[in-house]
Amino acid sequence: MGFRLSGQNHRRLFLGLVLLAILLPWLPLGASTNYILRILTTAVLYMILALGLNIVPGFTGLLDLGYVGFYGIGAYTSGLLAIHFDLSLWLILPLAALNGALWGILLGAPTLRLTGDYFAIVTFGFSELVVLVIRNELWLTRGPMGLPGISPPSIFGHLLTRDWEFFYLILLLLLVVLVVVTRLQDSRIGRAWFAIRENEIAAQCCGVNLIRYKVTAFAISASIGAMGGAFYAKWFKFIHPDMFKFWESILILCLIVFGGMGSIAGTMLGALILIPLSEVLRAVLPQGLFSARYLIYGLVLVLMMRWRPEGLIPFERAQARKARVAKERLKI
Amino acid sequence: MNPVLRVTRLSKSFGGLSALREISLEARPGQIVGIIGPNGAGKTTLFNCLAGLYHPTRGEIQFQGRAILPQVSEAKAEHIQQCARIFMVLGLIWLPLFWSFFLPDAPFKLELMLLGLFILAIRFLLVQGLMRFQIWAWSLMFVFLLSDLCFSIRWLTPPFSPVHLVGTHVPLGYFSWPWGLVAGPFSIYLMIQLWVRQGRQLYGFRLSPDAICRLGMARTFQNIRLFFNLSVLDNVKIGHHIQMRAGVPGALLKTRAQREEETLTEKEALEWLRFVGLEERAFDPAGALAYGEQRRLEIARALASRPKLLLLDEPAAGMNARESSRLIQLVLKIREKGIAVLIIEHDMRVMMNLADHIYVLDYGRLIAEGTPDDIRSNSKVIEAYLGGGAAHAEA
Repeated sequence: MGFRLSGQNHRRLFLGLVLLAILLPWLPLGASTNYILRILTTAVLYMILALGLNIVPGFTGLLDLGYVGFYGIGAYTSGLLAIHFDLSLWLILPLAALNGALWGILLGAPTLRLTGDYFAIVTFGFSELVVLVIRNELWLTRGPMGLPGISPPSIFGHLLTRDWEFFYLILLLLLVVLVVVTRLQDSRIGRAWFAIRENEIAAQCCGVNLIRYKVTAFAISASIGAMGGAFYAKWFKFIHPDMFKFWESILILCLIVFGGMGSIAGTMLGALILIPLSEVLRAVLPQGLFSARYLIYGLVLVLMMRWRPEGLIPFERAQARKARVAKERLKI
Repeated sequence: MNPVLRVTRLSKSFGGLSALREISLEARPGQIVGIIGPNGAGKTTLFNCLAGLYHPTRGEIQFQGRAILPQVSEAKAEHIQQCARIFMVLGLIWLPLFWSFFLPDAPFKLELMLLGLFILAIRFLLVQGLMRFQIWAWSLMFVFLLSDLCFSIRWLTPPFSPVHLVGTHVPLGYFSWPWGLVAGPFSIYLMIQLWVRQGRQLYGFRLSPDAICRLGMARTFQNIRLFFNLSVLDNVKIGHHIQMRAGVPGALLKTRAQREEETLTEKEALEWLRFVGLEERAFDPAGALAYGEQRRLEIARALASRPKLLLLDEPAAGMNARESSRLIQLVLKIREKGIAVLIIEHDMRVMMNLADHIYVLDYGRLIAEGTPDDIRSNSKVIEAYLGGGAAHAEA
């Protein structure tokens, strides 16, 4: 990344990417279009999850190893609501987000007093707990049999079944999450989160109520994760407890670390590179070695830590860019 | 003028080591009060006690006429303890009473008995905690309140109410269900007491550092604690945190009020930066500032919360002569705003120029107080700084 981008070039690049994303389903890519779209939908889904998780370790500086728990809660909320009550996606999404936030608050309020590693262990335990409950409460979740037959989402009576439709849907969702995250980041709340991450004691002495802001961060992060899960259930139409294993949490955490902790653009870039990488590896690696892809992820991360420990787009650079923009705005 | 801060007989001990012993001091609006003393005299401990980071062992801190430390009034404490005792006695007699009255036919089950005793033991601990004003007891009581209410509702509704219950089939823990009828109202009463005016303080809650900051006390740190990865301007904006109102909905919807607040904050933050002479560096990361500038930024951040009392912990440490004379000008300017300044400093030149009143600490005790001139000639102070022999030699 030897080149520097000015504010205007950034905007142009961003617009170009958006345009590309919108046009993508219509580009003549032949028979593989659907395949590519499916991979990109997964990548965008992980972008949403990474943006959500980023709020806790990235903004607030608390290591959260149990993010997949909220993802699972969202997915099962969505699946169960769709199967039993046949609600539409537009009702399910906010309900799943609310449910996620509720569990975020229930988990966070008592445990956020813990510091550092202890908190990470508690969140890890929580995600395992969620999977255990899903696996064992047969009356509710059908346990290891999974939850098949989730109805696809519909817009004005039109059922979404094609890949490009889901692609646009997740882009829309990404847009919403992006707006939420950037607005929070630039507000009083975001600054309080950064303050907590940078120096807890100083933040406290500046009047930031630690518990309140940590719980807020946790709840918002959880609700974004649950929203991702809700989409996932509606998209895949089948969910199973094994989909919400601990490794998913680590994977999402890897995306953030790879892209740059705390920087929104970095987080998204990390997901956009690492998730399709898995598919590339599927094509490149021989069949037997495919399960070794985590090894390659690990290698990428190790190299990253050696050469660029602050991630692809470090938080400091994102902050510096913001400061430059503010400077230009105030000088004029 | 009334003192903005009045500390009376404040003591703090860490285990057996008493870091502060019976310190009393005062600061008035627009006054610069200096605190000096050799290393390890307890100056920073005093600041941490004032800011709420440490919890003093004994003593009183009055800030703007309001007690910061919990003051449990005797009458209220007696009342609560009375209630707690009744709670305990009722709990003890409830089990056999209920058993013989409602379930005369039920066969005796050991596990039920043990469970009941276990729950009683927890409640006994809870009452003990309440009587000692422990915070955990209040939260545990809240949990019990919820479970009590749920169980008492179940107990009153058909399948499980005593009238409908078949004598021989007793669900596990059944006898503890109606407990809610007794404990619920009691808990509700205590919770209401807790939330009435100043109730939190009355019942032994300490004010957290952020609550103290909201009352109007701001501080800087001896070892600089800035938000190094954020821009200088953002640092000051965070200092302005308590003056803002926006919450999550406001930030998400970007309401008009929120946007106006943001512009106002930005303007004010820039003003404070101008006040300390850092407006040119506003958009640099705080970590890139020079040492002296970082100290001034800490002061700007503290001022942005519009405090009534400013605590400066060694602001001139590591500064050269030019920087420290600039600092003196700055502190004088702060005084002109009517803010009381409490300042710890080792640099005697700074201290003698600035302070209106000086307190001298040594080994956690207050050994002298007075105007700078008094302090300069005080033999105890000279002894503390230079050792006993020097004072005698001079005399």
